[in-house]
Amino acid sequence: MTTAGQSILTNRRVLRNVLLIGAACVLLAMLAPLVADQRPYRLLQSSITGVLVGGVYALIALGIVIINKASGVFNFAQGWMMLLGGLLFYTFFSASASISPLAALLLPALTAIMVTTTNSWRSLRQPRTLAIAVGITAVGFALLMLAGDDLRLVRAVVGAVFGAVLTGLAIERFAIRPLIGQPLFAMVLMTLAISELLHGVLQMIWGSVEIPLTVFAGLGTAGIPMPIRIQANESLGGTIIVRTELLVAFLLALLAFAAFVAFFRYTSVGLAMRATAENQKLAQSVGLRVRTILAVAWAIAAILAATAGVLQGGATSLSLNLPLLALSAFPAVLLGGLDSISGALIGGLVIGLVQEWANLLFPGTQAGTELAPYVVLMVVLIIRPDGLFGQKRIERI
Amino acid sequence: MSANIRPSGVFDTSYAQDIALNRTRTDKLLSLGGFLVLLSIPLLTSEGPLGLGIIPNLWVGTLNRIAIFIIAVIGLNVLTGFTGLISLGHAAFMAVGAYTGAILGRELGLTFWLALPLAALITGTIGLLFGLPSLRVKGFYLAMATLAAQFIIPWVLRYPLEPLTNGSRPLEVPVPTLFGLSFASDSAMYYVIIPLAVVLALAARNILRTRVGRALISVRDNDIAAAQMGINVFSYKLQAFFIAALYAGIAGCLSAYNTNSVTLDGYLLDTSITMLAMLVIGGAGFPLGPMFGVTLVLMLQQIIIPTLISPLNDLLPRLLPFINPVNIYAALSPLLFGLILAVFLVFNPRGLAHRWEIIKIAWKLRPFSH
Repeated sequence: MTTAGQSILTNRRVLRNVLLIGAACVLLAMLAPLVADQRPYRLLQSSITGVLVGGVYALIALGIVIINKASGVFNFAQGWMMLLGGLLFYTFFSASASISPLAALLLPALTAIMVTTTNSWRSLRQPRTLAIAVGITAVGFALLMLAGDDLRLVRAVVGAVFGAVLTGLAIERFAIRPLIGQPLFAMVLMTLAISELLHGVLQMIWGSVEIPLTVFAGLGTAGIPMPIRIQANESLGGTIIVRTELLVAFLLALLAFAAFVAFFRYTSVGLAMRATAENQKLAQSVGLRVRTILAVAWAIAAILAATAGVLQGGATSLSLNLPLLALSAFPAVLLGGLDSISGALIGGLVIGLVQEWANLLFPGTQAGTELAPYVVLMVVLIIRPDGLFGQKRIERI
Repeated sequence: MSANIRPSGVFDTSYAQDIALNRTRTDKLLSLGGFLVLLSIPLLTSEGPLGLGIIPNLWVGTLNRIAIFIIAVIGLNVLTGFTGLISLGHAAFMAVGAYTGAILGRELGLTFWLALPLAALITGTIGLLFGLPSLRVKGFYLAMATLAAQFIIPWVLRYPLEPLTNGSRPLEVPVPTLFGLSFASDSAMYYVIIPLAVVLALAARNILRTRVGRALISVRDNDIAAAQMGINVFSYKLQAFFIAALYAGIAGCLSAYNTNSVTLDGYLLDTSITMLAMLVIGGAGFPLGPMFGVTLVLMLQQIIIPTLISPLNDLLPRLLPFINPVNIYAALSPLLFGLILAVFLVFNPRGLAHRWEIIKIAWKLRPFSH
């Protein structure tokens, strides 16, 4: 028989909840006047922009979640992989003259070798594997050498995908695989080392200039208004402007997201990946090739990163600051849960929203990119470390 | 840790001897000699009282920088190496130390000698604050909490505290003085920084020999098992956070007074990553690790890259025609740094200090192999 007063003082859980609710009330009371000052159309404007920006975060977060599910590594280099994909796309997209044949041969050839030797370098001795490698190289070479501006989109997509797969596989093979069995600390530092390495390589090749990626420029000529204006002077007191590039990037991001989720649910490779994520030893003992599956996970994450890079580059521009922006996807991952695919989507959208709202409420302080996501991260870690949809971890000695 | 191997004929007859830092007379003489050599370096430059010029003047400033980073990385070693808590926000704590030291000196007119300990204590308290999530989370999740600190702290320093910190612009810091002596030159600051670094290194080394140090290591090795044995895991984790932030605060404050100005640019995420890398390259968990790691990485940044740059500027664009020579200089530092870190993680994950132990043991065991 305890009264309510006693239980609040003695029950740590209740006490914590009361404190958290109190803190939330104080925060709301502080933010409410700021929100009330805003014109309604600006709130709606920020919300729309936030959700649209969040689409790309969801893609980055999905890549991180996939790698984490498959191999238990949190990939800090996802942002740099994203920029790499975007810049490769840019190079193949904007090259007015034809691409140098050596580069067009080397990129698919290296990728083919990495793909076919995932299990062991010796695989190349088998004639069948060798034939596959030569085939991939030939197809890639032919597609990359396609000249003319009308087919440059195909060329750019092929180039970016080959580059992304090559990077993902190389990272898995040369950096992550040797560290199996090492503590978490080593893995975290390794992905940070990869970030620095990619930073150096990208800066050396493309420099630190800002590159606009004009992939969505064709929309204007196709008769779609840029930007889309929604007149709401009477109801909300202003005009809402939606940037068409952002909207298209968001829709494509959602499409890519749906495609990868379908891949996981409905293909045998996806099933094998889910099984490996569940229990690596068990998966291996029923005959799944865990090595191949880890490599596939890294390749898919790299393709996702490249997709995000292209979409983000199309919506804004490509520069060495982009990976810093991609850091905002880390809070998204933790908010959704480290091992939850649907969580990545929700987390990405929420972080996008929070960012835009923070930019609206605290103008001129970079609160959106530099503060808000990390405050969310802190709150998630304190209240619900496993995220909204993540699996609870149980630990044994 | 490797077993303690004594030179032949030296036997321990008490526990005090077993845990002694300097066990033999040779050890003592070497330590003392090393300290004296370190202290005499500014005297041997051309700016010294004798004007000898045996050692280039630039060395003194470089050694100051190295010592400051060694202090910060020793703090990180207590947190990450001894206790096993990964911190991605160590540079932010350095920033707190630098700014509180500077503000105490500027606004309150405190002398450097008072501002330094106060800045350290304030930074330690802030470290405690960001250590609080360790009550709920650990491992990777705690690393993310420190990542949040790395973004929240600089933001607070830059925007809400702008009247005090001058925002993104550099903040001037007064020159420390003592009894009318001004510590404006590198050589003068050298005699503040180096003895302090030695004392702080010995203090951190001593933590390992105490109950606290053993508790920290047990928390690192298995925190559930440590809790079963009656160790208050949360309390020790907070203590580790406090010590780490304290060291970072001292390093930040010294850095502010050493360069007489503070900007946030030096205390962003890449500095935190660099310090973690220094620790792992040097050897996390080894008392000597920070010295090796900081020296190697700063040497790389300040000596090796500038000497490499002109041959590479000629060579690289010729080999790879798509590389623009303009970009090489800025790109070389992250490239080499990432490469070295990756190579160390794969081939020498326990760091240089571990190699050093192996060399020492081989030396003591000669002519036998083991």
